[in-house]
Amino acid sequence: MRRRSLHVTAPLLAAAAVAMSSGCRKPEMQRCVDENNQVVDDSLCANLPPVSGNQQYPNMHGGGIVPYRPLYHYYYGGWGGYTPGTVVGGGSLTPLEGHGYISSRGIRTGTVRGGFGHGFSYHGGGE
Amino acid sequence: MRRIAMVPRDDWQKKVEDGGLIFHTPDMDAGMEEQPDRPYWDESAAYQFEATEIDMLEAAAHKLQDMCLEAAQHIVDKKRYAELNIPATAIPAIEWAWVTSPPALYGRFDIAYNGSGSPKLLEYNADTPTSLLEAAVIQWSWLEEQHPNCDQFNSIHEKLIAKWQDIAPYVSKPIYFAGLENAEDRLTLAYLRDTADQADLPTEQLLMEEIGWNEGRRMFVDPDERQMGTIFKLYPWEMMLKEEFGQPALDTYREMSWIEPIWKMLLSNKGLLPILWELYPNNELLLEAYFEGDPRADALKSYVRKPLLSREGANVTIVRNGRTIASNGGPYDGPQIVQALAPEAVFPDNLKPGAKRYPVCGLWMVDQTCCGMGIRESGGPITGNLSSFVPHYFC
Repeated sequence: MRRRSLHVTAPLLAAAAVAMSSGCRKPEMQRCVDENNQVVDDSLCANLPPVSGNQQYPNMHGGGIVPYRPLYHYYYGGWGGYTPGTVVGGGSLTPLEGHGYISSRGIRTGTVRGGFGHGFSYHGGGE
Repeated sequence: MRRIAMVPRDDWQKKVEDGGLIFHTPDMDAGMEEQPDRPYWDESAAYQFEATEIDMLEAAAHKLQDMCLEAAQHIVDKKRYAELNIPATAIPAIEWAWVTSPPALYGRFDIAYNGSGSPKLLEYNADTPTSLLEAAVIQWSWLEEQHPNCDQFNSIHEKLIAKWQDIAPYVSKPIYFAGLENAEDRLTLAYLRDTADQADLPTEQLLMEEIGWNEGRRMFVDPDERQMGTIFKLYPWEMMLKEEFGQPALDTYREMSWIEPIWKMLLSNKGLLPILWELYPNNELLLEAYFEGDPRADALKSYVRKPLLSREGANVTIVRNGRTIASNGGPYDGPQIVQALAPEAVFPDNLKPGAKRYPVCGLWMVDQTCCGMGIRESGGPITGNLSSFVPHYFC
């Protein structure tokens, strides 16, 4: 019985294999804030409809439309912390694509990365 | 089986690098506990076999594969998961995968063999085996130059391509290849990805830590937020289940394809060895083995003690006639097994007069077919991460 390989063609590019790099992102903060971007308790944002970037509603007083922005809403990323009463900024009203967020209660929104791959400091995953 | 001294090829380093093996010589890291005395790819010697020996090893691997599948069925039927330290949360996915047989690709039996008597199973690396490129490609190129009129137990490359072609209709594309950053794993992934490419499958490669979990969409996503439906992971299931995404992987297991499938946890566990011995007592391919604490283990005077899930020879202790003759440290703890010592496989070292070399034969399975062999060799009785790869041939 013949066992040898007939055609071993492995156009392997070692450099390409080595060139892998991590684009891992850690989750960013998601806080409930009021109209002044002050952090409030997460319960005040519970059951609110999601805010989209261009959501609008009719202006009942003067006609036309104005951007919809509820009194309390989630704020994604940026600077500041989770502490109620502190001000946040530099983030966004909607989750950014490819970003993951975590609330002060550990609830996640969007995509989170880094949940695999931290098990071995001793050697690789193969054996 | 004979160990033959060889003159390495001129410029062998460049030749193996051209084949993709860039880590042929370990870095002399001052932090290493033990400095290797020779390169990882070592062609200063080779193992020569008789064709009848190759026939026998091939048949042994096929017999062992049948026995291992029977043992897996037994574990499922008798629900012996706790003895293997498999978490209860993983059982539904394991049993579902065992019954539905999602795509599986490869594995490697590590065998003790010294040229006489029967080969003996040391363990089955059924989930994340490496040293694949060396076995499939690098030693083949060596054979073509050094022994062009001889043969080698090696059709791994074609079998992998053929298996990917078999798998293709049953998985979503692209197939993602995920692993860690170290060179050996990246190269193994790149090679496996290459075999999938040659089977005309679209592929992507990324790091395990780049895999994203989107809670709202309840799916794993790639760095471009595309759903990942098929993932080849060079990362063991037991570690995945301990990590943050372990539960999402279990929750969505039926909606995607992980290669290797999760039922491989039943085989890539040293607890398989005492169960095999229990099911096939005194089988010539097996070594007597027991879970630690079994009174029968105490009767063994010459044995190896190893954790259920240790890797690369870590946390292994060898006792001969009641005296510890070798022991490796490492990060693995937990339940252990005790396995009788195999008949010694030792050959004189051609580079160091009076020294010995200890080979272990890796028999490669692609799906249910044994299709090649790669030999790792050490200066001591424990095969570890830095043990050399030595090519083989038969005429």
